[in-house]
Amino acid sequence: MSAPVLIGYFDNEAQVLDATRAVREAGFVLHDVYTPYAVHGLDDAMGLKPSRLTWVCFGAGLLGCTLALSLQYYTSVVSWPLNVGGKPFNSFPAFIPVTFELTVLFAALATVAAFLARAKLFPGSRRSVLPRVTDDRFAIAVAPREAPSELDAAEDLMRRHGAVATDLLEEVAS
Amino acid sequence: MSASTHEEAAVSTSGFEVPPAVHRAAQVLAGVGLGILVAGLAIARERALTSLLTSGFYFLCLGLGGAVFLALMYVANAGWFTVFKRIPEAFAAYVPWGAVTILALLPFVSSLYPWAKPGVMETDHLLHEKAAFLNVPFFAVRMVVMLAVWVGFTWMLRRISLRQDAERSLELAGRNVKVSAVFLVLFSLTFCLAAFDWLMTLEPHWFSTIYALYNIAGLLSSTVCAITVTAILLHRAGALPQLNTSHLHDLGKLMFGFATLWAYLWFSQFLLIWYANIPEETVYFVTRLHGTWAVAFYVNVALNWALPFVLLLPRPAKRNPSHLLRVAAILLVGRWLDLYLMVVPGGQPDGVALGVFELAGFVGMAALFTLAVTRTVRSTPMVPVGDPYLVESLHHHT
Repeated sequence: MSAPVLIGYFDNEAQVLDATRAVREAGFVLHDVYTPYAVHGLDDAMGLKPSRLTWVCFGAGLLGCTLALSLQYYTSVVSWPLNVGGKPFNSFPAFIPVTFELTVLFAALATVAAFLARAKLFPGSRRSVLPRVTDDRFAIAVAPREAPSELDAAEDLMRRHGAVATDLLEEVAS
Repeated sequence: MSASTHEEAAVSTSGFEVPPAVHRAAQVLAGVGLGILVAGLAIARERALTSLLTSGFYFLCLGLGGAVFLALMYVANAGWFTVFKRIPEAFAAYVPWGAVTILALLPFVSSLYPWAKPGVMETDHLLHEKAAFLNVPFFAVRMVVMLAVWVGFTWMLRRISLRQDAERSLELAGRNVKVSAVFLVLFSLTFCLAAFDWLMTLEPHWFSTIYALYNIAGLLSSTVCAITVTAILLHRAGALPQLNTSHLHDLGKLMFGFATLWAYLWFSQFLLIWYANIPEETVYFVTRLHGTWAVAFYVNVALNWALPFVLLLPRPAKRNPSHLLRVAAILLVGRWLDLYLMVVPGGQPDGVALGVFELAGFVGMAALFTLAVTRTVRSTPMVPVGDPYLVESLHHHT
């Protein structure tokens, strides 16, 4: 893609929230918003759909739970039954601690991995970073819907909401 | 922020007029319920006493839980809960009432506790060895001291908060933190003792060191549920318009978390006793896995953890007031069943017997609790205008 993207820089959280909402409500295509830390309420302002990461977490947890139970059942009942303290081979309560740990481990690792993959944060991934957005600046990236000339109006809008600088980039990785 | 001036203008500084019908109904139910319990002392003494202990302790825990919730929040410098902090404060106002319901057990100690039965010390060697601790005078002294500590600290926490409304000084916010820190230490010690004394000695041969912590998890879980229910009901009645979805979301997370903490401790107690398989410990679960008690035993886990866990897992579930009301109801019933399972099977191993005395105890105490809470809500401004965290709480966003 080679459509130009307009970047508006802001100095504080309240302005970027207002500007994000205004840009979206004015009908521009919100490419992304970059902030140095997680800003409460930005999801709403951007109109983002609920994250799908929760499903990864749930699925992986379920998988971990099932694997843990089956592994313990297989090893202690099918493959190598051992009499431990006169308990039945299939001693469900004894399986619970390992099941709990594996459920949590699978869910946590899979969620982090899915997040990194989705955000393209892995070795070899080349992403341009806007200046100072990991430090003290907030940036809104707006893509034009049709003609690039729309971006003049978007620039105007962001300036009115307190943008301290704007910039036109030819391309920003999504 | 521009919105804050509007919101602060909308903050009401008067108490909420609870509909007289609610108050009237609570008075009647409290009278009828407690009347049946008193009659029960003559007809079926053991049933009436276990019901008094189960439900009395249940609601005393809610009152105490209100104070513990406040203290935890103060000590953590939390600001999100301030908008509804008058609810746990109103719960805390029940503690003196709850203390009376527990003190009412004192004349009947010998009918309720096996170690206090006349002549038992001569025939039971194990109890004879424990006689230095398990005797009625010392039991009574411990009870009075613990209740006095709780009444004193809940009174102090409420008083400081009400003074904040008038004086609006930061110094009082600091004092809240100090009093809370001392209270939390004393609470954890005294509550452990209370759980051991009042509940565990019902089966004086048996012991479990995690028992008190497991009870604290139940206390926290049921308190968060009761706070959530009260907050939603007051919001619907128009008394707490500042309560937003983010407050509910966080309360929902706490419900989810404490239900899971309860399950963790419940299972820790069960697993170790099941694994070690020592008769003097397993006797507790043998009784509870026998006959109809087994049904109650599994239902208990479903109500206190399995159902709430599944029902509160999705994010939207924790932000939906009607859904939270349902889950809170499940957990509140579960907490009662949990206490019932601690109190009753020891003296009544044949099976579950739920009847008019159990119902009367619960309804009577619930009505008493409602009376104490509505009385406080009526006389106290709903929003703590002098709390420095109020603005943060009004803008709480998750």
